Amino acid sequence: MKFVIMLSGLVGALVLMHRPRRIDEQKPLWWRLLVIASVGLTCLLGIFPPLAGSITDVVVQHRADSTKAVPALVRVDAVAGTLCDARDTRVSVSFITSEQVRATLVSIDPSVAVIARIRRLESDRSFELSELVTVAPPLTMPYIVGLEERARILFFHVPMSWCAVIAYCLAMIAAVRYLRSGHIGHDEMSAATASVGTLFTVLATTTGAVWAKFNWGTFWNWDPRQTSILLLLLIYAAYFLLRSSIDDEQRRARLSGVYAIVAFATVPFLMFVLPRLLPGLHPGSADDSNIGPLLSPRSDAINPTKNAVFGLALFSFTMVFAWLVNLRVRLARAERRQAEFQEAA
Amino acid sequence: MMDFLSQHAMYVVLVTILLLWSGIALYLQRIDARIGELEKSVDR
Repeated sequence: MKFVIMLSGLVGALVLMHRPRRIDEQKPLWWRLLVIASVGLTCLLGIFPPLAGSITDVVVQHRADSTKAVPALVRVDAVAGTLCDARDTRVSVSFITSEQVRATLVSIDPSVAVIARIRRLESDRSFELSELVTVAPPLTMPYIVGLEERARILFFHVPMSWCAVIAYCLAMIAAVRYLRSGHIGHDEMSAATASVGTLFTVLATTTGAVWAKFNWGTFWNWDPRQTSILLLLLIYAAYFLLRSSIDDEQRRARLSGVYAIVAFATVPFLMFVLPRLLPGLHPGSADDSNIGPLLSPRSDAINPTKNAVFGLALFSFTMVFAWLVNLRVRLARAERRQAEFQEAA
Repeated sequence: MMDFLSQHAMYVVLVTILLLWSGIALYLQRIDARIGELEKSVDR
């Protein structure tokens, strides 16, 4: 089910990339509005739902940092002085709190789930409830000890890097089609997908570096994942240098077409193989417990809400990619036609 | 409102991203319309 949700977001966007009109034709207004709405919804669902952990998360957090209170989804019986985990009611513990918070809790039905900041005290049975965050939240995101709010990068950074892989793959396919047919439109498509793919790679690298600063301590620490993405950027920078150094249209298309095919051969190795062979800090490295929350075959490796929002994010970013490619390819064609018209005149 | 935003940094992030995305969306829509006009004039 996990992979079905992710793939439906991706495949849906790839179908809409070529339908209802071709990628090199102006898309209808509803299509453009769909892109804007889906990205807006991704931002809302990716950021708005509050974090809500479990009693187990509170205990695990205590081992890492005993002073930190965890937002947990619980049901509170303020009169009895007990609270239970909202997702697993068998876990019931006693708690202490301030008179002010207790007065608020007494007015809330004990069957209603609330998010409260909880800290473990001296045993796994005694806790302190320091603050009531939300009552009956409609949607929550899981609390991951060590990552917390920073885990939300999954909805923005990962779809961008996945889009970059799709972009380089499409650039390679368009290059093959150009070399087979000699039709210059395929070369324009190859250059457009490679340039938007490089934009997405730069954005994925930048967002990853900002995240690394707050999670690993520095913006750049030559993690295998960071090194491999830098190599990929250099390989595609050479592609654009090659294109800009040749004036003849057909020669440029032929040489850069061959280069796009050779360059893509490195993409699976640099994006999927190398970072998994070497130990590193990025999720899915060789010394990680699994190959990452998204690709792990274990269904509980990612929370269902997170999985659904990630599927939507994948759809949204692939649609933005499709729109940018659409604009680039149409602009390149219009410029070519204008140049041909001026030559003829 | 400002008190709420100063206590909940995540919503400041949300508002910033939504504003940023609205700007990018408007910009894309404008470029799309301009390329559409350019295509029509080139076709003529």
